[in-house]
Amino acid sequence: MAKWGMVIDLDKCTGCQACTTACSMENNTLPGESWQDVLFYHEGEYPSAQMKWLPRPCMQCEKPSCVYVCPTRATYKDEEAGGIVFVDWNKCIGCKYCMIACPYGVRFYADEQPLVEPDIRDVYPGENGQMWSPPYQNPEQDWRRGIGIQPKGVVSKCTFCHHKVSKAPDGVADLDEDDPDLVEYVPACVRTCPPKARFFGDLDNPESNVNRLIGDKHGVRLLDHTGNRPQVYYLGAGAGIPAFSPRKS
Amino acid sequence: MSDNNIMKGGLGTGLLILSVIVLVASFGFVMYNLMSHGHASFNVSSSLPWGQPISTYLYFALASSGLGLIASLPLVFGFKEYYGLAKRAIFLAFIILVSGMAVLALELGHTFRMLWAIPFNMQIQSAMFWMGVFYAADLLFLLWKFQKMESGDWDSKATRTIGIASFLGVLLASGNLALIFGMMSMRPFWFDGLLPIYFYLTAVTSGLAALVFFTYLAYGFSRGAMPENLQRALTNGLPKLFAAALGLTILFIAARAITGLYSNNPEIHYVWTNYLFASPIYVASVVLGLLVPFALMMSASLRVNPAIQILVSILTFGGLFAERYFFVVGGQVVPLFKGTWAWDMIQYTPSITEWALTIMGSALLFTLYVLGERFFNLSATPEQPSMAESPERAGQATA
Repeated sequence: MAKWGMVIDLDKCTGCQACTTACSMENNTLPGESWQDVLFYHEGEYPSAQMKWLPRPCMQCEKPSCVYVCPTRATYKDEEAGGIVFVDWNKCIGCKYCMIACPYGVRFYADEQPLVEPDIRDVYPGENGQMWSPPYQNPEQDWRRGIGIQPKGVVSKCTFCHHKVSKAPDGVADLDEDDPDLVEYVPACVRTCPPKARFFGDLDNPESNVNRLIGDKHGVRLLDHTGNRPQVYYLGAGAGIPAFSPRKS
Repeated sequence: MSDNNIMKGGLGTGLLILSVIVLVASFGFVMYNLMSHGHASFNVSSSLPWGQPISTYLYFALASSGLGLIASLPLVFGFKEYYGLAKRAIFLAFIILVSGMAVLALELGHTFRMLWAIPFNMQIQSAMFWMGVFYAADLLFLLWKFQKMESGDWDSKATRTIGIASFLGVLLASGNLALIFGMMSMRPFWFDGLLPIYFYLTAVTSGLAALVFFTYLAYGFSRGAMPENLQRALTNGLPKLFAAALGLTILFIAARAITGLYSNNPEIHYVWTNYLFASPIYVASVVLGLLVPFALMMSASLRVNPAIQILVSILTFGGLFAERYFFVVGGQVVPLFKGTWAWDMIQYTPSITEWALTIMGSALLFTLYVLGERFFNLSATPEQPSMAESPERAGQATA
């Protein structure tokens, strides 16, 4: 089985948020429930201040701390599915411990106050146990893997678009949106990326493009000191998050 | 012996009625909001997922553990002067834990699912799994021990074994509760291998506050109305123990504060400078809730004064409630993995529903407390049946 990995080239990324939008459309997430987001920040001060940004999906860690803390095994790493970390919405009790334990802040408890008004959950009230039911929604649903629109009281997260990548032919090294035979299996954020800053492939396949990019262009994993060992690698200058500092004196 | 217990009279009935009214009203309010708005009626968010309901649970659970540890002084370690306090301590430990669990139950996304999903999935790597195991065992042992006391069996081999098991259960439960926070290396404000020690100290301090307050309450805040052995405990060992527990708690908080202020790590440093010490409520809780009570209890004349003891227990209640709140929220206020993208620390103030949940837990505690005082003799001691008749056996029990 493949071990799915994502490579994000920060030298190519323009911070356009197309990935964020595509993810939201593909997975019907709520405003603020950004399974995929681009964080904007500054580094340094005048006259050498820099504006930077960082696309941030779930890292699908090799040693995911969210999985270890979950008291019900609702969140689990599925090696058979390429090492993707899922949340089983039938088991999640909404304790939010995984959200505490994830160093990357990529887990969401959408049963919270709305980010924007009107509350889209009131505009399109939920049916069939869903938190909300938009006029159009992706027909792909698998609550055991946290795919679809979640019920109330559970945690949601990026699934590496498992509903797409799981249908890819066995043994494929990379899922490249430029390959007409594979484009339908590419995760939404990778497929939509206008400057082609994202790559998706098998980290266990020595011939894969993602492995070549990581090796040739010095791919790094973020917050490596936590030991979580992400399956998402970053290329290019400035892969990292500047330390937090409050702007109010 | 407990004829002077005012909870058995009209005042007790009044407090019971008041507590039940507050309990029903707050529970109804919380349920209405949860049914109509879900957890959007809480002010927590995906950035700061654990708020006041969690800190309230923590406060109750640790006060319960503290009471369990205090009860183990006479029941496990043989400090006979505390015999008069033991049964009330065990009872209070039980009902405070039940109240805390009630608050936690309404905080979770799926409470009833928890009842099967935790035991059937056996995720032994999760500290929260062990929290369920240890607190369930703690609750069971407390109940069992109380049942033994109620039947007059204070010193049989079985009772002593249950006492030791209960003591270990309390240590494991509260120590593990600390590690739920202390093992989170991605949350540097909490990440601390010695956190269980801090939890034990604050647990005993809040347990003492609860024990002193509720013992006085049972006797109309009049020490003269109490049985002789309770008066002895409240004038001899207990105030000194209270002073020591407060002093050690302050010491531990000071060590954490100094470390945090010294550290350059923004996820610790800014929590102390820009959140904790920037909050007048936190500063007041440390000064009025811990330092002033400690100063009062260090005075040999003041610490035996009933009015001071009651005041100190109330101040400590408030001080440690705030301490728990700021501990839980403080671990999350620095935006995680947001760097300079975040404008400032995450702002969080408990919503009315979250306050109602805290009030509900407190009202449940008072309701169960009055019922306990009315239906049981919580000041009972083993003296009459066993010690007088068989001093050797009593001595053996506490050995």
